[in-house]
Amino acid sequence: MKQDKTYVEDVNRAFYDFRYEDGDSYKVESGLTREIIEQISREKNDPDWMREFRLRSLEIFHAMKMPVWGPSVEGLDMDNIVTYVRPNTERMHTKWEDVPQNIKDTFERLGIPQSERESLAGVGAQYDSELVYHNVRKEVAEQGVVYTDLESAMRGEYADMIRSHFMKLVPPTDHKFAALHGAVWSGGSFVYVPPGASVEIPLQSYFRLNAAGAGQFEHTLIIVDKGAHLHFIEGCSAPKYNVANLHAGCVELYVGEDASLRYSTIENWSKNMYNLNTKRARVEKGGRIEWVSGSFGSHVSYLYPMSILAGEGAQCEFTGVTFAGEGQDLDTGCKIVHGAPDTTSHVNTRSISKSGGVSTFRSAVVVTEKAAGSKSSVSCQSLMLDDISRSDTIPAMDVRTGRADIGHEARIGRISDEAVFYLMSRGLSEEDARALIVSGFAENVSKELPLEYAVEMNNLIRIEMKGAIG
Amino acid sequence: MSKEIVCRPLAETFSWLRMGGTEVTLPDGRRELACRLTPHENRTVVLEDAEEAALVTADLAEGACLQLVSIRREGAAPLTYSRIRVRCAERAEFHWYRLVLGGQETYDDCVVTLEGKNSAFTADIGYRLQGEDSYDANCEAIHLGRRTDSRITASGVLSDRARKLLRGTIDFRRGCAGSAGKETEDVLLMDETVRNQSIPVILCAEEDVAGDHGATIGQPDEESLYYMGTRGVDEAAARTMLAEARVDAVICRIPDADLREALMKETEA
Repeated sequence: MKQDKTYVEDVNRAFYDFRYEDGDSYKVESGLTREIIEQISREKNDPDWMREFRLRSLEIFHAMKMPVWGPSVEGLDMDNIVTYVRPNTERMHTKWEDVPQNIKDTFERLGIPQSERESLAGVGAQYDSELVYHNVRKEVAEQGVVYTDLESAMRGEYADMIRSHFMKLVPPTDHKFAALHGAVWSGGSFVYVPPGASVEIPLQSYFRLNAAGAGQFEHTLIIVDKGAHLHFIEGCSAPKYNVANLHAGCVELYVGEDASLRYSTIENWSKNMYNLNTKRARVEKGGRIEWVSGSFGSHVSYLYPMSILAGEGAQCEFTGVTFAGEGQDLDTGCKIVHGAPDTTSHVNTRSISKSGGVSTFRSAVVVTEKAAGSKSSVSCQSLMLDDISRSDTIPAMDVRTGRADIGHEARIGRISDEAVFYLMSRGLSEEDARALIVSGFAENVSKELPLEYAVEMNNLIRIEMKGAIG
Repeated sequence: MSKEIVCRPLAETFSWLRMGGTEVTLPDGRRELACRLTPHENRTVVLEDAEEAALVTADLAEGACLQLVSIRREGAAPLTYSRIRVRCAERAEFHWYRLVLGGQETYDDCVVTLEGKNSAFTADIGYRLQGEDSYDANCEAIHLGRRTDSRITASGVLSDRARKLLRGTIDFRRGCAGSAGKETEDVLLMDETVRNQSIPVILCAEEDVAGDHGATIGQPDEESLYYMGTRGVDEAAARTMLAEARVDAVICRIPDADLREALMKETEA
């Protein structure tokens, strides 16, 4: 029997969709040429090795082919992408009152300064290609924790450390957009947590792309030394334009012996964004990496945070939710390499598709010959909210030792009519009942986030659920 | 000589879905079986791997039922390849029982299209691989009709340097409302030098469906070994029993009693 469906218009996404004219900003020409790369390098005052690195990466980019196995990136024409946009501020600030008014207003509207006051140990704010604000609480800095922009760190006390870690986990040869990142990267944060230090409240970097037709290519490098602990939050958003925008950032995380790092992301790029981001962590003996990932925005996403469990007893936990609505094709998941004995990994993801959106969960768990005694469990659940959407699950397991225990479960289904009926019998509207069920479905992620971010995530779900009655 | 593309290797980690795959050069000889079952016809076909490739095409009319038992034995040809294509009309059923009891290189490629409403497909795959044996299987259930049902069950044992790759795909196409697909895999790893690859895919373009997958891959369960030890079964015998159980579970489902009994005796020996 055909079910009756009621459609409600989407609410507008004004909270994220506001924008400012970028007339005062400095831009390079669109496209990718050696001259543009050299121009960016001059702007950044790169050391020689970095300039060479950029040019070598450009050659790799031109030599590599576009991916053909995931969502279509045909709408992305690199000749029309501006790879460097410097906002109208000469330098990074450590006080919000020094930040130019329009940029400050942007972050005020996104609630960043308020969050900093209430619940964060430090904040980095990037606007287009440059960090405009960076600050860390005194008591955190006194522990020896370094939280600053990558570019100034590259020329200071930590220059050698950065050179020996920069794009070593994600080399430009990894894939075409890693090569692009190597050529045009700009902005991003550097965090170093010294041995034994523990940052109890999170640090956060927020990336805002304001310019139409531009790309954002920030690089985040985090080193958590032996026995240290850190929670890092990454947020991102952009207003919607009618032209393609590109985000090809790179995150490299080094987790030392017995150290732990929680890396949380709420990604809410606008729906004209190609989000081709690369994230990777290397975990040493007894260390632990926890990924908490919420993917809501973007037109197209390719996002598979990778964990290399390199030391004995290293652990990985990945918790993710992906919500694909109209016009979105979000290909997300994770990769885990068990490269040492007795390593463990646990993956728990949820995907939701509605209004013609496509969500794909793609994962790879590789247990190498060296990883005897390792254990892994993967659970992925998908929810289809209508019959014009799509949800695919493509997990892979490659076990190269006999001494391993691997478990996997996947499930695809729809919202139970009985559950909706029950909630409606308790006084909820159908729309609220469905939103509540979807929020519960995504609880695996929201319960892992600090309260303010869990609230934001649930708000995003509520916004997306408008128009999903049926 | 001809070439067939049968597997999409995991080496292309994130490329397997829409890519081609490994080309396998087939032996010259081949056995082709094309059958068209009339409405409500019930037929059982037993296919024992010989030196040639087996190409099976079946068209099942309304209410028809085809049961295909295919067996690959150790000591037969070094390479065997079977390609199975089945189309099921309304309420038609296709049941595939696949036993791989050894063999240097074994390739299977089975695609079943559930076109008619209430049609069904089950695959029961059992394998026991040792030495340098390798088994590479692709099994796809394409749900087109309403209320169609598929179940893919694979269980097996890998010893020595044996390798296995199983791609199981449940593909819910738009319009197959009310359908269900389930895939389960149970792999027992007996030695450190084995390699197991599993890619259980669920593709879904329809809201009103239920798709499930579950897999367990691991070494013999310590608790089971201990329990059997307390009942006087030594560890070697207990490990053998656990290994045999994987294949026996598939043999038990074969509908032909004589064949079932013969295979039981053969695997025990």
